[in-house]
This record gives sequence, structure tokens and C-alpha cells, in this order.
Amino acid sequence: MNKKIIVVIIGFLWVAISAGMIISKQHTLRTGKTVVLETVPVDPRDFLRGDYVVLRYKLSSLDLNQIESDKPYYRPGENIYVKLKPKGKYWEAADISGKKEAVADGTFLKGKVRDYDLKTRKLEAAYGIESYFVPEGEGKVIVKNMRGNKSSVSVEVLVDSSGSALIKKVYIEM
Amino acid sequence: MIFSLIFWLVAIYIAMRGFSQRHRQMHRWLQRELPLWEEKNIINIEQGNTLLGLYKLKRLEPARKMDMAKALTLVGAIFVGLGVIFFVASNWQKIPAHLRAFMLLPITLFTLYAGYFFSYEKQGFSQLGRSLLLLASLFWGGAIALIGQIYNIPVSENWYIMLLWAFPIVPIAVFFKNDYVHILASFLFVIWNFLYTVNNNIANYYYPIIIFTLILPTAKNLIISRRINIIGLVGASLYCCFYKYEWLSLFISAGLLAHYLTQREERVYLYSACLSFIFWAITFFTIHQQQPNIYFLLPIGFILYLTYRDDLKENLVICLVGLMAWLNLTLASLSQIWGYAFDPLSFITFQSSLGIIIYNAGIISKKKGYLFFEVYKALGYLVTFTCTYLLSFRLVLETDTGKTNPAYLYASFFVTVIIILLIIDKARSGYFKNKDTRLELAALLATLIGNSIMLTNPQAVSVNTVVANAMLVIFALTNIFLGVEIKRPFVFTLGIVIFALFIITRYIDLGWKLKEKSLFFIVGGLIILSLGTILEKQRRKIIEKMNTQ
Repeated sequence: MNKKIIVVIIGFLWVAISAGMIISKQHTLRTGKTVVLETVPVDPRDFLRGDYVVLRYKLSSLDLNQIESDKPYYRPGENIYVKLKPKGKYWEAADISGKKEAVADGTFLKGKVRDYDLKTRKLEAAYGIESYFVPEGEGKVIVKNMRGNKSSVSVEVLVDSSGSALIKKVYIEM
Repeated sequence: MIFSLIFWLVAIYIAMRGFSQRHRQMHRWLQRELPLWEEKNIINIEQGNTLLGLYKLKRLEPARKMDMAKALTLVGAIFVGLGVIFFVASNWQKIPAHLRAFMLLPITLFTLYAGYFFSYEKQGFSQLGRSLLLLASLFWGGAIALIGQIYNIPVSENWYIMLLWAFPIVPIAVFFKNDYVHILASFLFVIWNFLYTVNNNIANYYYPIIIFTLILPTAKNLIISRRINIIGLVGASLYCCFYKYEWLSLFISAGLLAHYLTQREERVYLYSACLSFIFWAITFFTIHQQQPNIYFLLPIGFILYLTYRDDLKENLVICLVGLMAWLNLTLASLSQIWGYAFDPLSFITFQSSLGIIIYNAGIISKKKGYLFFEVYKALGYLVTFTCTYLLSFRLVLETDTGKTNPAYLYASFFVTVIIILLIIDKARSGYFKNKDTRLELAALLATLIGNSIMLTNPQAVSVNTVVANAMLVIFALTNIFLGVEIKRPFVFTLGIVIFALFIITRYIDLGWKLKEKSLFFIVGGLIILSLGTILEKQRRKIIEKMNTQ
């Protein structure tokens, strides 16, 4: 094949991939419903993307003894759909299901099972909103301030109709 | 498991079909020697081509040399690429993130085109073009990372960013035959697999499939890239042991073996297939702890056959270590079934017995003129010596004293009986008539007797400590005398080293308990220095004498 054609195809491929990533995230930003989640941060650094704050939510650890589930157990790596309901200032998990249709009548988050304990029926999940990137050097300062002042941290998240979520804002109340 | 057997039978069948190319090594030698003969005018180029044609061989491509200008453009490209990645990581707020992304993407595309332009359109700038294509690939990684940063894609999904970085640069590596990008992509795939497994807690079958079908076939002339991918695959097999992914390690092992059978120039394929297979055996044990693994034997037998057929000394070591590991895992399974606890003494003496039997295999191979007798002897010696050295520590003998594991105990005695039978057979054939072989016999018997004393009387820790240390001294002395007898400076020096190691270890052992450690080290250091000087002087004298004789 002509090398010139190949280089053009690679260029288009790169543009398509980056555009695909941007468009899917922009879709969530444009159409998503805002929910506020309570969180606790910690502060590592990523080689590629710099300082970030790890956000751990109440939703990250779900007790199936307290939340309704249509499945007896879940496997690591399995997709889950967590129906959310507002409770006071924050949104919390109401139901959990392995099928999207079961929770589609309300606002729900799509996540992935990281771990499930058969004995305690506790489930660890990730929703793709566990990292918040900040300018270099600011991660440690933010976390130090938050810990020192025992301030509460919440995250404003946009959730679209497929359950995909995107962080909009992080609120630190001193 | 029946599928595993079927799979290996199919692999063996495929291998049998490829047996017509038996003279691979000779071919490689001819390919390497031919340019030299032509240079020395022993033969001309036409005759060289005729010779190659006779064996249906291709001329080896001369190794590419890298001059300063080429190196500079490459280093420059790497520096600029890394600079951009660090710039992305700094998350510099003075330029809004979206603007940074919209700036970086056109720059990436422009660099990509410039790489193509200098490689193919402009004469005389091909190296610059290659470096620019590498730079474009690095920029592409920066662009993907930046998009991930803007949308806060979590770090647990970094595998996804790695994949989006690695895959789209593969066409550059393949279609433009860019070695640098191939190496970069190989490296990124290794990281991707690691991150994917760690973050998702599931076996990543996509990784070996991509490597076997896409990356390795396109890395035929690229040794660095091949090695990176092989290390990545063996690494993936290794962590199957921790994550209990039984089939993945077997799949990787089979894939590597298939690659070796189809392209036998790369011996490392067989080494890594063998290693992956051993990791599979370990994974099998971690999953089915009470089920001895009988499926191991047929494939390892086949790998051993390939090792002998293709004269692969290094692989024999891997196979023997694998067989030792398998024997131990089998005994561990039986211990689990019968409810026996682990006990260091019987475990180590069993390894020592295995070492002696491997050493004996070396003696038999030498006598019968088989290949690799020195590998057996060296490995057997190393295993037996290491075990004796470990047993010379009182702490090892004290641990779980008296809780002898019957599975290991009976296995040790069984191996000892075999060794005695072998020794009797050799004695009857007159093998021990010479002084050097009698020294070998002395060391063998000392180890056997020492091991038996320790095994039959595990409670007597003090006696056993003396026995193990005596064995260590006998090891040193037999080496020294054997070295003089057969006039091999290496064997003689090894004896001196063992003796020095014995002195230092025991000194530290005894002196460590003293309160005044500074004095202990100063005095000890001075004694060792003096002893070392005397020993070195004597050693040189004897070696000089050996050389003059």
C-alpha cells in the first residue's frame, strides 16, 4: 500500500480515537444529571497525568445486606448498575442490579465490581469517577488542608442516561 | 485437564512435522561465516551465493551501525516526547486544558506527516524521519493522557489509556518498519497488561493474543522488541501464580512453544515456554492444592526432547529446575492430603538428595558420551552445596524441630537408595579406580551419610549442626584436592572459596550475638584479610605449579 495513504489513515485513526473519547465524555457533560456524592480523598501522583486526588465514595463499598439486589452474588469485573436516590444533601445507593433495565426508571450509575465478599456480602465497586486531576504540587496541599481542618468533601457528578459519570466539581467545605 | 493433554498432543504432532529442519544450527553458522570467507577471498560472492542456495538460505543482513547524527536525532526525539508528557502531567493551568488538547493534537498530526515526509519524500533524511515518527508516537501518548486528564478518567483505568496509546502506533511500526516505535509499542503493551490485570482482577487473554498474532510476527528482525515481548509474556505467566489464572499461563507457554517450533532461530522462545510452563505448574498447585499434577510430565518430557535435539544447554537447567519444582509440589500436595506439616530439615535434605542424583546423571552422561554432562554435574553440585550450606545454620535445624514431614522423609530415603544403587553399579564397573573419582565418591558418601544422620535424628540439633559443618568442610577439601588432582584451577579455587565462606559464615554466626559488634567486625575483618592474603598466595602458587606442569 502507498505509504502516503497509510500515513493519512493513521492520522485519521488518531483523530477518530481522540474525537471519540472527547465526544463520549462531552455527551455526558451535556446531557448528564447532576448528583452530589460524599467522598474522602487521598493524594498520589500519576506519571502520565500528574497530581490527582483519589476519591472514595460511600458508593465504593456497598453492603448487600442493606441494599436491595436482584442477584445473590457478583463476580469481579462484572458490570453493575446502582440506582441513586437523594438523601438530604447527598445522593446514595438505593438498589443494585446486574441489568440496566432493572434500574432504568431512575437515576443510576454504571460501575464495575472490583471485589465481592461472599461471607459478608460486601461489594467493592468503581464508577470511573475515582480520580480528580489537579495542577502539579496542589494535590498534597489540598489533601493536607482537608485533613487538617477535618472539612467535608463532596463531588458534583454528571450522570448520563447510560449511567456513565463524569466529575463536574469537587467541593471542599472548610 | 483432558483439554490440556489434547492440546499438548496436538503441539507434539505439529512439532514432529517440522523435524525436517534438523540442521538449523549448522545453517546459522554458515550464514555467519560466509561473509568472512568472502572478505578473506577464500571464496567469491558467486560461490557464496551458490553455497547459500544449496541449503536454501538467505544472506544475513549486516548489522546496522548507528552514527552520532542518528543517535542525536533519536535522543532529541525521546527528550522532546518525554518533555511533552511531563508538560501534560504538570497540568499547567495558564493555558486551559481544552486549548492544550487542541494544540497538541495538530502538532502530533503534523509531526506524523513530517516523519513520513522525511522518511519517504525527502532524500537523505530517513533517520530524521524515523525519529520524527517516534516523536509523533510519543506525542500521541501525551494527547491521550491529556484527554484522560481533562475528563478525570480514573487512574484505575490507566490500562485503557495505555491500550489507546499502544494500538494506534502499531501501524507506524509495521507499515513504516520503524524499530523505535515497535519497541515503544511492545513496552506499552507490557505495561497495559500489567495494569489491566491488577486493576480488573481478571486474566488478560487479549495480551498474549495480540503479542502472538500481531507483535511477534512483525518483530522478526528486531531482537530488542522480541525480548521485551518475551519478558512481558513470561512476566504475565509469573503473576498467574499469584492471581491463580491457570489457563492463561498454559496458553502463554503453548504460544511460545509454537513460536519456537515455527521459527527456531530464537532459542529464547523455548526457554520462556519452559519457564511459563513451570509457572503453570505452580499456579496449578495454588488452585488444586490436594491434587498432584500428573499433566506436567508429558509436556516437560517433550521440552526435554527439544532441548537435546537442538542442543540447548541453558534450557536443560530450566527443565531440571522445573522437574525439581514439580517433585516438590507433588510432595507438598501429598503432604496436604495426608495432613503433614512443612519441615525445613526434611525439605532441604530432599533437595540435597535430588542434587546428588542430578550430579550422578552427569557422571553417567559423561561415561556414555551423552550431551550436557557438565550441566548435570554443575547443577547437581550447586543444589547439594546450597542445601548443605543452609543446613550448617543452627537456626534452620532448630526451626520446627522434630516435626519431620514423612512425605519428604520417605522420598529422601527412596532417592538415597537409588543413589546407593547407582554408586554400587559404578563401583562394579571400576569407575572409582582413579584418585579423582575416589574424591568424588568421598564427597558423595559424606553428603549421603550426613543427610541420613540428620534425618534419622532431627531432635539432636547440636550434633546435626556439627555434622552439616563437617560436610561443608569436606566439600571444600574434596574440591581443593580434586582441583590439584585433575589440574583444574577453577575446581581448586572453588574449594578455597567454599572454605573461606565457611569461615566467614561461622564467624558471623558466632560473633553476631556479642554485644560489642564494632570490635567483632574490626577483629573479624583483620583476621579475614590476613587469612585471605595467605590463602590467595598459596592458591596462586599452586595454580602456577599446575600451569607449569
